[in-house]
Amino acid sequence: MTRYVVRRLAQMVLLFVVFLTVTWFLLYALPGDIVKQKFATNPNIPPEARQVAIERLGLDKPVLIQFRDYMINFFQLDFGLSFNQYPRKVSDIIAERLPRTIVLFLTALVSYYYAGFLAGKYLAWRRGKRGEMVVTIGGVGLYTVFYPWFALMAIWLFAAELGWLPISKFLNPDEWRNAPFTANQVFIRLFMTVLAVSVFMAAVVLLANRIRDHRPRTFAKLGGVALGVVLFIWYWWGTAGGALMRPYAGDIAEHLILPVAVLTAVNFAGIMLLTRSSMLETMREDFILTARAKGLSERAVRDRHAARTALLPVTTSLVLAVATVIDGGILTETVFSWPGMGEVLVTSVSNEDIPLALASFSFIGIMALVGHFLVDILYGVLDPRIRVGG
Amino acid sequence: MSSPPLLEVDRLVMHYVTEKGEVSAVEDVSFSLKKGEALGLVGESGCGKTSIAMSLLRLQADNAVFKSGEIRLNGENLLALPEDEMRRHRWKDIAMVFQGAMNAWNPVYRVGDQIREALDLHFRPRLSDAEVTERISRLFEMVGLNPAMANRYPHEFSGGMRQRAIIAMALSCDPSIIIADEPTTALDVIVQDQILQELKKIQEELGMAIIYISHDIAVIAEVTDTIGIMYAGKLVELGPTVEVFARPKHPYAYLLLSSTPSVTGPRRKLAPLEGEPPNLLNPPTGCRFHPRCPYATERCSIDEPPMEVVGDGHQVACWNWQEVPVTISQEARP
Ligand SMILES: Nc1ncnc2c1ncn2[C@@H]1O[C@H](COP(=O)(O)OP(=O)(O)OP(=O)(O)O)[C@@H](O)[C@H]1O
Ligand code: SF4
Ligand SMILES: [Mg+2]
Repeated sequence: MTRYVVRRLAQMVLLFVVFLTVTWFLLYALPGDIVKQKFATNPNIPPEARQVAIERLGLDKPVLIQFRDYMINFFQLDFGLSFNQYPRKVSDIIAERLPRTIVLFLTALVSYYYAGFLAGKYLAWRRGKRGEMVVTIGGVGLYTVFYPWFALMAIWLFAAELGWLPISKFLNPDEWRNAPFTANQVFIRLFMTVLAVSVFMAAVVLLANRIRDHRPRTFAKLGGVALGVVLFIWYWWGTAGGALMRPYAGDIAEHLILPVAVLTAVNFAGIMLLTRSSMLETMREDFILTARAKGLSERAVRDRHAARTALLPVTTSLVLAVATVIDGGILTETVFSWPGMGEVLVTSVSNEDIPLALASFSFIGIMALVGHFLVDILYGVLDPRIRVGG
Repeated sequence: MSSPPLLEVDRLVMHYVTEKGEVSAVEDVSFSLKKGEALGLVGESGCGKTSIAMSLLRLQADNAVFKSGEIRLNGENLLALPEDEMRRHRWKDIAMVFQGAMNAWNPVYRVGDQIREALDLHFRPRLSDAEVTERISRLFEMVGLNPAMANRYPHEFSGGMRQRAIIAMALSCDPSIIIADEPTTALDVIVQDQILQELKKIQEELGMAIIYISHDIAVIAEVTDTIGIMYAGKLVELGPTVEVFARPKHPYAYLLLSSTPSVTGPRRKLAPLEGEPPNLLNPPTGCRFHPRCPYATERCSIDEPPMEVVGDGHQVACWNWQEVPVTISQEARP
């Protein structure tokens, strides 16, 4: 397993360098240059100033030198200054935006995978029953719907008409006027607590799986999950730090509901159908027959043998999901005015803010690679054949 | 004939319902099994052997229907049991080594854990951790595997080892009956033979009954006391293995034996078995073998021949069994 992880990590770094190089040259090859665009259109700027700017930005150096400098700086985590929000550091902008995007899409991803997996299991279970038709048609209907339209309709219905949820943005500025925290502090705290609780729950479930007896095992799992929820509540309600931040976290959470719900509605059907076909395929395997012949209940056969094995192809599809987060991300962030990485990417590219665009591309690339890596690890944990083969 | 039968299959009729009609896969089959007995079921592919095996565990396909008949285990009709009671009999009383058992292991769990699953299910009071480990080690040794392998995953086992482990799992709950459906067809010949011999040795040592299923009559001859010959969903001949081998009474059995190289004696030369087995969606009337039978008479295509006792524990379903020559070597079996 360790060897497998190390090899995947090395591959990842190499891939990233290639990705960064290609992106750099592609952006370099973009027509037009920033100095002309910003300076030439303004007659009040003297030509000397233009020359100074060119030299200070290093734009007069040969391409390869520029490239080398960029790479060296990049790996020292210096991504330069934004042209458009000059003299703001690109790294500051990214640090501000990245957590927002990660929180939104991680929540959505977990939500729609979970919904899709449960629905798929249900479908495979109720094959040929009426419930199957309803869920399939509903899910596929949502899956094929034109996404931006659907999102706008959801905003119109739940936010504008019914007024249940905030219309857009990621927080309500009125409530934050005298806030003792920045939005990012809250975002990161929110993210860390959810992460800690999830890791705790996963650990308990994994440990509980070693218990042989069914009853205590189920008890330990449910207990672990319940304890995780209690810990989460305790932090946000019971501790001074948590309670102080809670209204702000609540505001952000409220803004998360609609985009997450829309993303889940639109995406879960894909996972559902995949789980269903994977389950049906697994149910035909010989080892399912063995499990039945051993005298296991139908439920144990499905949950312990079929669903557990059917999870493998579903996990593989996570890799693709990580990729769709990126293009879907731009759409979602635009429709919900969610100021995350997608929005930065679009504005920086259209404004030719090269340093910011480069860094945004890089971080989206890093996100995809890390996501891919985590899925690989997860797959290794789930499938012993990979683990040993590594 | 002193001990009462452990298992009785009594006039079992099982059909598969399909869009094209009903497949008559098991038609009026009766046999019984005593404690410690080794029974073989032989027949061409598609004659209903697996269907019978699955029926015994009530693991028949979803589209299968039991039309009539009973399967009695110690006098209790399994077909009438509610599902959860049936579950308690599976593996505890009747365990199975499946056809194509290569894929009988779930790839994501350790082999030992998969055996333990059966132990946890059927032992009351539950075995302790130490007892489970001890038991699995003993089973592994019995089937010729290193006990340390129990902590490995199925993909780390070779085909033969997987099959041995399956046998270990089948033995794990001390069943009174083991069904071995083509237990070794996927393996190479040498391993096949080894495993069969070991299985037979273990079965005799532990005194459990076993039902071997194969399309290869030579394989079965070596390890069984009784043999049943199936043709197109019907049991056409049933008797002591030695007897059936020496004096097959049914024309199909006779032709089958003459077209198979003898286990010990010289190769028998006779009219080969011609034609194809019938489509069970629409089986021939009367005797199902009549389109292929060289001894068929007019009556054969109209009336179904009943099972008739022709010797000690030897039964045949044929109108004209007396026409079948008694030419096969008397010592077909060592
Ligand atoms: N689920 C099913 N639905 C319809 N027909 C079936 C089904 N399962 C088996 N059959 C048919 O029933 C007959 C008996 O099948 P079975 O598997 O019992 O034969 P078998 O003797 O075990 O053959 P083999 O030696 O190939 O394993 C065959 O004609 C087969 O095509
Ligand atoms: S009953 Fe007739 S057709 Fe059937 S096996 Fe006997 S002789 Fe042949
Ligand atoms: Mg079969």
